[in-house]
Amino acid sequence: MRKILYSLAFAAVLLVSCEEWEPVFTKYEDEPTFKPVEMTPNITIAELKALYQKEGDPVKIDEELIIGGQVVSEDRSGNIYKELYIQDASGAISIKMGQYSMYNDYKPGQWVYVKCSGLTLGSYSGMLQLGFMDPSGDYETAYLEEKNIIATHVFKGKLDTPVQPLEMKEADLVEALKEGSLKSDKFGRLVTLKGLKYNGKIFCLVYIDYDKDTKLASNRIFLSDQTYGVTTWAMTKNGFLAYLNAGNFDKATSSAPYYPDRASTSVADLKDILIKNASAYSVSQYFIVGKTDVQIRTSGYARFADSQMDPRILTGEVTIDVTGILAIYNGGIQFTLIDENSISINE
Amino acid sequence: MFKKVTLALAALLVALGVQAQEPTGGVKGSVVSRTDRAPIQNAAITLVQGTVTVAETVTDEQGAFLIPHLENGMYDLIVNAAEYLETRVNVNVNDGYVKNLFTISLTLVKSEVTDEFFEEFDMDDTGYADTPTILFGQNDVFNNIAGYNFSAVRFRARGYASETQDVYVAGVRLNDAVTGYSPYSLWSGLNEATRTKSSVSGSEISDYGVGGYNGLTNLPLNASNVRTGWRGSVLTNSALYRLRLMLTYASGRLDNGWSYAFNASVRMGGNDWVRGVYYRSFAYYGAVEKFFNDTHKLGFVFMAAPGERGKANASTQEVYDLMGDNMYNSNWGYQNGKVRNSRVSITHEPIAILKYDFTPSDKFKGSATLLYRFGRNGNTALDWYDAADPRPDYYKNLPSYFYMENTDYKRLNPAKAAWARDSWDYQIPEIVHVDWDRMINVNSQNYEEGERRAKYIVQERRVDQKDFNAAVNFRWRTAKNFTLTGGADIRVNQTEFFNVVNDLLGGDYFLDVDNFAERDFAAYPTMVQNDLDYFMHEGHARKVRKGDKYGNDYYAQIRNGNLWASGRLTLGNFSANVAGRAGFSAFWREGLVRKGLFPGVTETGAQIIWNGQSITTYDDEGQPITSYGTSKVQKFFTYSGKVNLNYVIKGGHRFYASGGYFNEAPHFNQAFMSPRTRNSVVPNLTTTKILTGDVNYQFSSNGYNVRLTGYYTTIKDQSKVMSFFDDSQNSMTNFAMSGIDERHVGLEFGFKVPTFIPNLSLQGVLSYGKYIYTSNPKMYQTVDNNATIVADTYGVTIPYWKSHPTEDGGTVQHYVPSTPQLAASLGFAWNKNYWFIDADVDYFDKAYLDMNPLYRTDMATAGPDKMVTYTEVDYMASQEKFDPAWLVNVSVGKSWYIHRKYQLGFSLNVKNVLNNKSVKTGGYEQTRIVENTSGKERYYRFDPKYFYMAGTNYMLNIYFRF
Repeated sequence: MRKILYSLAFAAVLLVSCEEWEPVFTKYEDEPTFKPVEMTPNITIAELKALYQKEGDPVKIDEELIIGGQVVSEDRSGNIYKELYIQDASGAISIKMGQYSMYNDYKPGQWVYVKCSGLTLGSYSGMLQLGFMDPSGDYETAYLEEKNIIATHVFKGKLDTPVQPLEMKEADLVEALKEGSLKSDKFGRLVTLKGLKYNGKIFCLVYIDYDKDTKLASNRIFLSDQTYGVTTWAMTKNGFLAYLNAGNFDKATSSAPYYPDRASTSVADLKDILIKNASAYSVSQYFIVGKTDVQIRTSGYARFADSQMDPRILTGEVTIDVTGILAIYNGGIQFTLIDENSISINE
Repeated sequence: MFKKVTLALAALLVALGVQAQEPTGGVKGSVVSRTDRAPIQNAAITLVQGTVTVAETVTDEQGAFLIPHLENGMYDLIVNAAEYLETRVNVNVNDGYVKNLFTISLTLVKSEVTDEFFEEFDMDDTGYADTPTILFGQNDVFNNIAGYNFSAVRFRARGYASETQDVYVAGVRLNDAVTGYSPYSLWSGLNEATRTKSSVSGSEISDYGVGGYNGLTNLPLNASNVRTGWRGSVLTNSALYRLRLMLTYASGRLDNGWSYAFNASVRMGGNDWVRGVYYRSFAYYGAVEKFFNDTHKLGFVFMAAPGERGKANASTQEVYDLMGDNMYNSNWGYQNGKVRNSRVSITHEPIAILKYDFTPSDKFKGSATLLYRFGRNGNTALDWYDAADPRPDYYKNLPSYFYMENTDYKRLNPAKAAWARDSWDYQIPEIVHVDWDRMINVNSQNYEEGERRAKYIVQERRVDQKDFNAAVNFRWRTAKNFTLTGGADIRVNQTEFFNVVNDLLGGDYFLDVDNFAERDFAAYPTMVQNDLDYFMHEGHARKVRKGDKYGNDYYAQIRNGNLWASGRLTLGNFSANVAGRAGFSAFWREGLVRKGLFPGVTETGAQIIWNGQSITTYDDEGQPITSYGTSKVQKFFTYSGKVNLNYVIKGGHRFYASGGYFNEAPHFNQAFMSPRTRNSVVPNLTTTKILTGDVNYQFSSNGYNVRLTGYYTTIKDQSKVMSFFDDSQNSMTNFAMSGIDERHVGLEFGFKVPTFIPNLSLQGVLSYGKYIYTSNPKMYQTVDNNATIVADTYGVTIPYWKSHPTEDGGTVQHYVPSTPQLAASLGFAWNKNYWFIDADVDYFDKAYLDMNPLYRTDMATAGPDKMVTYTEVDYMASQEKFDPAWLVNVSVGKSWYIHRKYQLGFSLNVKNVLNNKSVKTGGYEQTRIVENTSGKERYYRFDPKYFYMAGTNYMLNIYFRF
């Protein structure tokens, strides 16, 4: 009897000890393990950008080039998305990361190093971007997007104090525009523009049917050259519906009939279709500083898209100072707010 | 034949011996099955003295035997019966008396209900598991063989859903009040305490209730039903957990009328096949029972199976192929070098039972039971707010997201696809497993107002029941040929559904806001609140910390009651049984927090006002949409009726037939559009109607055991609710289906027959059915964030649910999924001298993948251009049929008696000897569609997700009785 009990106990001990019979641990210390990468750049951002010679001619980088810079963008508000802007003393560039909610991993001021070998330098409407090659030819660069590409090319360095925005006056803007996006070191930087005055017009491109060919002129309705009573920075789907139902866009038309059986190409006559196909839309609100136009373009997916602009801005009673990323779009200044706190009103 | 001759000779020899000496001693008794105490006919009784066989006989219909004319002395009595382990009893015949051994109970060769039956398919978020039909422990040749051999492929008897199988405990129906699921997981690990059971299959009528159409099993669980003595066992296996230790003791009925019993076990460790899966499970059972006299008996039972279990997940074939492993589990990852599973079930749900039995005469017996189930049932999962999806097999991490040969997908970047393939080929741990370290880094760096706001947390979804049941039953033999049974029961169930912060992963708090609502309503602060009352009082969203409830919190309130009766009339070889039940079922939702999206009205009926504006929202009928407070009570009258006819012909032949009609209430989990967020009820909710019939032939004699059954069942008006992200709506939606009809028709055949080799039997089963959908149900789709009706998919028929048309004018039938509709097994069983060897070859075919209703709608088949073509319908609406599969299983076992006092034994089961690793056991279609196609003409499906069966695996059980 005793022998049997002993042998059973022995068998149990043997089974316990000979295998890793508890492969999963359940008591965890949630200690952070982040170790900043230390890397020495061998080229400045400006030098890298200089490799790009001509619009329409993206540059695939084969050399072991490393750039380093501090993060100046933040996608927390959703206004900037899928892109990460880094900046060193020489200039700034957008990395086409293709990820959402990157602010969780890349903090403003944090050092980021990019091994450029294998990546592609390209331009989007004049703005230089570092991304992946795009065989579709739709864009000069594609998003990096894939986790392994990012893990082997984009490295997170130490956290540091956020970069102070560069204050730019009208003259600086004019000069930057004159130099052009390839020469100027200002585009892509975190900047503050002061004393912007509302210019009483918006730009917004609305599609009659998002699911169909969005390049067809007949599928496009341009809202431009006036305000259409749009008093928000952009329009979420709900915001768009509110304006649409209130009749704000009734008179806007597409350049060719999309539904020939409709009375006209006006929004009023296509309203049922537009309601059904409603979507969020980006809006450019036009401002002016001196004689220079600045369009502040805000995404329909930004958290503050439906936020009402201060009525005093719209009446021209007050001017605003804005902080964000300076960009060029078709030869004009386009400005992207980091978030709602990037706007301050000059009382 | 050989056996018969030997028996006859032996009988003759005994008879001759009797004439010569005529001693008066003897031995008698009756042989029963341990599981259900049913008599075992034709069990071979051999009496030996030393090595000399003294007598041989077989048991009669009542399982009784008598060996007369024995001389005084010590004998060994050996009992052998098909499917049961050989049993030895030592007998001392003295003073010339006939020794009465009373009952000798035999154990089924394969009677372990192993935990593989409770392996959960984690297909919904309710915290509930779906388990296959459990056929074990029934004294039936088909069920015994099918139950053991077919469990690995999640075979469901006759294609019925598992919740159709009634499970009673101490005379109380204990199927889950919320879902109807069979509650076996509540006592997993208590194999010894739950070994005794009685079952009927199909629509046979049981003594415990009218039952349904998929059998009824009752577990008595009382102390005196647990096998007397000590028993300890050590079990190891390679497909579930490393080690199980179990200890059991039962006193049997003591002279003072008391009995007591306990059973405890521990299951630990991982397995060879699925990483991240582990058990840390315990189980305990304690019971006492007091026989006050022959009339009154009172028993109490308390038991539970507490513990933790890491779960596996289904992935797409692309992922399995990339990993080179169909058992890849996406739930786990490394945290600081250690394996951690994100989906763990954490449960402790005790059951307390008080049962009183009243037996005033041998004509009447009655009982009353009070049963209470309570405790916690939790399942952990990752939850995140405004952060990248942390699931490693998320579709955007796969090569197919970057490149598809079909250019219509607009996935055109082969270089990116190659990088993605590398991630999986090299199995980069941060990419192919859950990246715990990153999540902790994110949380610990995310300072907001001086505290670390967690972006990723581990949540625990809790489904905590308070389930009170009371039942009375009686059995009254009013005349020699008529027995009346009946009873009444009530159930009061309050189940709380809520989420708890399980681990903040390095953060200090998590903010209780609705991430999905924020995408649409970021500019409206009240609408994103999970707890609006808190927000309106405090002016900011609630910060929740470890252990806090958050997200949603509501009760399912369920009330049931039934009256039933059954009469059995016996006339010679013919018997008839008629039974009926009538009952009510009522349930409602009770919201415990006010959600910002659906504030409803105040207690006095006033609108909810924020910043001077009403934020109350209304449905199409003008009723406020409400998250807080009680919903309309859903009430249903239910009933069922059954007839069983039975005719026995001498020689072991039996013909029997059953028929039944059932009108059953829907379950709570099928009744609300979005129970997490609001009180809205599925439109046109109605009872499910089932009509069933079967005819059977059984032959049982001289070691031959055969059953043949044909059955036909229609099930009408089932409903189903789900929530999913609809790409065409670009939002989370709620989707209800009602009017799902099915037809199940087929045959079951099981046999076990002796062969010309002594002790070797040939055995086999065949289950061949056709389980199809016979209706196109109605669908009701609403947007989760605002309860608005989706115009094209609300109140309309799902056109391609039961079948879809082909271009040549044909029709392709769609089938009831998740079980092989053809399952067959052939094997042999050898049983001698406490040895048994079993080997079986199994074949499975005609198993189908669970269908997602969205793919069968006009919306999905038409595509963006709204034009339906045969190509699109065939692509989108087709149902996947799994490949057929072959399996080989072998079992061997032996037990030894030591000093005639102790028994030591082992059993070794090796399953899937051929190491077949490509057998799909289930899965589901994702509800998502690829909508942004270049031609804008059609949609594409996302790949389905599958579960696979483990390759070769073993289970070794060593037990010791004393």
